[in-house]
Amino acid sequence: MTSIASAVSPSRLAALTRLRCAIFQTSYNPTSARTGAKYLRARLRGPSMVQYYPQELSVAKFNRMSHGELKIADLAEEQRLTNIEALKKRGKGAPKKARTEAESRRVKRRK
Amino acid sequence: MPHIKARVFRDIKARNGVKANEVARRAYLYVARNQTLPPEVRYQAQLQLNTFGKYTRPTTPKNRCHESGRGRGIMSEFGLCRYQFRLKALHNELAGVRKASW
Repeated sequence: MTSIASAVSPSRLAALTRLRCAIFQTSYNPTSARTGAKYLRARLRGPSMVQYYPQELSVAKFNRMSHGELKIADLAEEQRLTNIEALKKRGKGAPKKARTEAESRRVKRRK
Repeated sequence: MPHIKARVFRDIKARNGVKANEVARRAYLYVARNQTLPPEVRYQAQLQLNTFGKYTRPTTPKNRCHESGRGRGIMSEFGLCRYQFRLKALHNELAGVRKASW
């Protein structure tokens, strides 16, 4: 007693698959080789990724967008600058950026 | 967001990097994973993939809390961490969210 599958030769089955691929416009890939098509088929994720955080409009951003035509006084920024000035007057400002290796404090500490 | 945290800035940077490099990365991925191409070509494509920085990889960005920048305990439907979610829900700022009571 033979089953239906064994009665049909493998070459006939392959021909059937090829015909099916031609009809349904799929690629004929009998060995299931990885073609990398899924990386091209998948949707791009970047556009939705950059939209995760809600857009925030700050005073600084508005001033930058208007290219100096419209200006809003940035009170927080002014306060920050006056605070820095006050600290500098008292000699408590941030140290100057090291220009050379020798000025760098990290090198001194390592020795 | 009253005070944007540095980690959120870093995350935004990563998201922009992913978007900018996504097409090129996909092209290299296609070549590198394609078994019908010669191995030398696939290897070169893989080497090119390795030259992309960490801020171009789509797995680098992490969903952080919109309000506090916290990276853990995020409720993805609202983009908020559990504490900010609770605060906003109690102030009736989240539509359809009520405190359970029975």
